Formats: sequence, C-alpha cells, structure tokens
Amino acid sequence: MGMAEPLIDFIREHRSLTILLILGPALIYLAIYFFAPFLITILYSIGFIGRRGVITWKVTIEFYRQAFRGVYLKVFYNSIVLAAITTLGTLVMSYPLAYYLALKAPKKWKNTLVIGIIVPYWVSFLLRTYALMNILTMLGQMFTYEAVVIGMVYDYLPFMILPLYASLEKLDKSLLEASYTLGASPLKTFLKVTLPLSKPGIASGTILVFVPAIGEFVVPVMLGGASVPTIGVITWNLFLKFHNWWRGAALSILYIAVVLAALIIYVKKVGELEI
Amino acid sequence: MSLVDKLMGIYSALVYIFLYLPIVVVIIFSFNESRTLGKFTGFSLEWYQVLIKDKDIWIAFYNSLNIAILTTLVSLTLGTLAAYGMIRFDMGGKGAIDSLLYIPIIIPEIAEALSLLLFYKFAGYRLGWLTVLLGHIAFDISFVYVVVRARLAGFDRSLEEASLTLGANEVQTFLKVTLPLSMPGIVAAALIAFTLSFDDFIKTIFTTGPGFQTLPLIIWSQSARGGVGPEINALTTVIMAISMALAYIYSKLTIRS
Repeated sequence: MGMAEPLIDFIREHRSLTILLILGPALIYLAIYFFAPFLITILYSIGFIGRRGVITWKVTIEFYRQAFRGVYLKVFYNSIVLAAITTLGTLVMSYPLAYYLALKAPKKWKNTLVIGIIVPYWVSFLLRTYALMNILTMLGQMFTYEAVVIGMVYDYLPFMILPLYASLEKLDKSLLEASYTLGASPLKTFLKVTLPLSKPGIASGTILVFVPAIGEFVVPVMLGGASVPTIGVITWNLFLKFHNWWRGAALSILYIAVVLAALIIYVKKVGELEI
Repeated sequence: MSLVDKLMGIYSALVYIFLYLPIVVVIIFSFNESRTLGKFTGFSLEWYQVLIKDKDIWIAFYNSLNIAILTTLVSLTLGTLAAYGMIRFDMGGKGAIDSLLYIPIIIPEIAEALSLLLFYKFAGYRLGWLTVLLGHIAFDISFVYVVVRARLAGFDRSLEEASLTLGANEVQTFLKVTLPLSMPGIVAAALIAFTLSFDDFIKTIFTTGPGFQTLPLIIWSQSARGGVGPEINALTTVIMAISMALAYIYSKLTIRS
C-alpha cells in the first residue's frame, strides 16, 4: 500500500488539472461548435448582428414579430398537428408490437426480432423516405397529405417501438400473474397494471417522435412537394433559398423554445429521458 | 397460445412488413432491367455499372468516407475521455456538465444545422469540407459519450482499484484495464458515430459549400420533388447496405441478455 501513496498524492494534488485535461477537450469543442452557434443564432434573431455579419449594437423584436404573423402561426399550427398525428400513428402501430416483443415473443426469436427493429432505425430518414417514394409513386399517391403522414409514421416508427419495448421489457411479470391469480381479466390486467407501468415508455417515445417531428423537413418536401409546409420547410426556405437569416433565426429560436418547454415538462412529470 | 396472442403476433408481423417493404422494393428495383417502376422485367446490374462509371459518385463516396472516418476518430477520442472523466471523478456541477454533454442529442438536427451555418457565416469560415467535418463531430461526441458512459457505469470498478494497488499508475490502469474492458462500448459508439456521419443529410446540406458533395446530397438533389430512378435505387441500396450491416454488428455487440 505504501508504494502507491506518492502516486495517489500526486493525482490528488493535481486533481482539478486531471479532470480538466480529461473533460476539457469535449466541453471546449461543444462550447465552440455547438453552444456558441446557438448564441450567434439568438444574436441574429434580435438583429444584433446585421448584414455581412456586422455587429449593429442594436436590439429589436421585429423579427420575432414577423415570426408571429398569421402565415407562420398557421405553419406552426400545421406542424404541431402533423407531429401529433405522427405520434398517435406510431403509438398505435408500436404498442401491440412492443408488447408482443417484450412479453409474448418466443425466447429464441426475441433477439432477432429486436435487431429487426434496430437495423432499419439506423438507415437515415433521407434514404428511407426515398425508399418509400418508390412505392408511393407506384400507387400514384405522391404529393398528398396522406403520403406525408405515411412517410412520417414510417420514419419515426422505431423511435416509438424501442422505448416502449424497453419499458415493457423491464415490467415485473409476477405483477401480471398476481393480477390474474386475484381474478382480474386479461383486459383489466392490461388497463390496470401493464398500461400504467409502461407510461414512462409511452412518454419517452412521445418525446422522441413529437419533438423532432414538429421540425421535420425531409419527409414533407420529398413526399408532399410544396403542398405541406411545415416549420422545417419554412425555415429551410428562409435560410437556403431567401437568405433571410434574421427571420429564420427567430423562427428557429421559437422552435427550440417549444422543444425545451416540452422537455422540461417531461422531465418534471416523468423523470429522466430514456434513449 | 390464446387468440389474442395470435392476433398480436400477426399484427406484429404486419408492422415488420411495413418497415421492410420499402427497403426491399428499392433493392429489387435497383436490379431491374427496365427503367419503368413497378414492373420487373429482368435481372440486370446495369445501374450499378452506371454508378461505378460515374466520377461524381466516386468523389462523393470518397468525401462521405473521409468525413465519416475523421468524425469517428475525433468524436470517439473526445467522447470516451469525457465519459471516463464523468464516471471516475467527482466534481462540483456534475449534473450540469452531464446535461451539457447530452443536449446535442435532444436538440433537433435542423435547429443545430442552421445555427452552425449562422456561426460559420459570422466567423467567416469558408463553407466546405472543414465546416461539414466540424459540424459532424459536434453532433457525434454526445452519442459516443452516452454509449461509452453506459458501458463504463456497468463494469466492476474493483478491477481498476486492484490494478492501482498492484503498482500500475493511472495511465497504465486506463490503458491496460479500463480501455480493454470498455471496448465493446467503444466499438458500439464508433459504429454509431460512423453511421450517423456517413449518411447524414441535414447538417451536411446546411454546412457544405460549392463543390463539396457527399452521397446523401447526391440522392437528395436527384430525388427531391419526386424523381425516382433505378440509378438512385442502386445508390440508395449501397448506402443502406452499409448502414444496415453496421447496425447488425452493433446489435450483436450490445444485445446479450
């Protein structure tokens, strides 16, 4: 024991330095290339940064006022409706599947079946949406609202299945048996035991689908053409087409505010997010 | 098995079909002789030959690979170190630091992408290879951090203590004990980082400049607004095959119990 002491003393003396050297690089990197960009976005949205990136030393709420104009409010509303439909669609499709995987699927197939969900989950939205375009084109269903909804549900489905599965998998099966033994019907057991216990999974899945779905851009453009403008599409146009960075920045900050509000409510009500 | 269980099994099978049908259709039609969609006239490798002969595709492939490999190396180093530091050291404000390292996963990619664009514009970066790379790394560090931290949290700390007691110093212990034990987590994190970067579209299109294209950008520019074609089917098949193979390896590594 005596041999290790000088070394431990050394590390204790330079403990802060050691921690700084280990955590520093990641934190500094994120400070520059993740957090500073958001600060810059805020500065653009209040007009503090003007044309050609020149600092104006002025603050205005004009761009936020523009973002609250009727057109944009309607787009915000449409995006939230689309995101809600998507969340509901994925939930209805996922729950029986997650339940089956967690509680009913034959043991030797289980891993394979779970891998079967993870594998398409890793293919990016762009590719999967393109894949869907083939079928929708064959069916003559491109550029409709239905096409966009199908695409959204298709892309976001694994985001709902995996957290639902995780929470149902953790469920203590003896509770179900107890419920049966005490005479409750399968339906009653489901409503009174299984469903309440899987709430954290439902909440995780809802956050993981609903929040990014509000800002979704790829699906509405590829499958909806110009017919389904969402907040993602509008922001995209403001930035890459019209180069109206100030209004775009204000819209984006509002979107992030909605996202953070949803997350804070979630953490307060449910607890930690499971990914 | 009760009737309800059976129905649930059938329902589940239908969801799997829904998930895989579009992917299967793309693969099938990438081997279709004819250009017309919906009719399979015969097996052909023609569209893959078109891809192989296309110089732009090769350049984009090289760019995608280059960005993905560099992103993986840098984010793996920074993310693993951060995970190690958070698990093995106590410090003030730990919860806050954890949140900072975690936030990039939660913020929607489009918001992150356009804030990066504004940042680059403001700071006077020339958009292209470097700006794409820097953005990908920022996103991937958090994923590496979360995956490696989960692995580090799960293993027996007394092994490290034994190593220290037996006279190895901190660095030796990290290299000879901690690193090998956390290898499955690190490999899993590398696979995630690589895939996220290799087929990333949103961050790339916001932060790229003239002349720098990756494979997803080619798919986008050729298919936006409804254009479906056998060449894009072939290209999509190739990229999907890479992502799905890596996902499969990842699943095999992480799903045990």
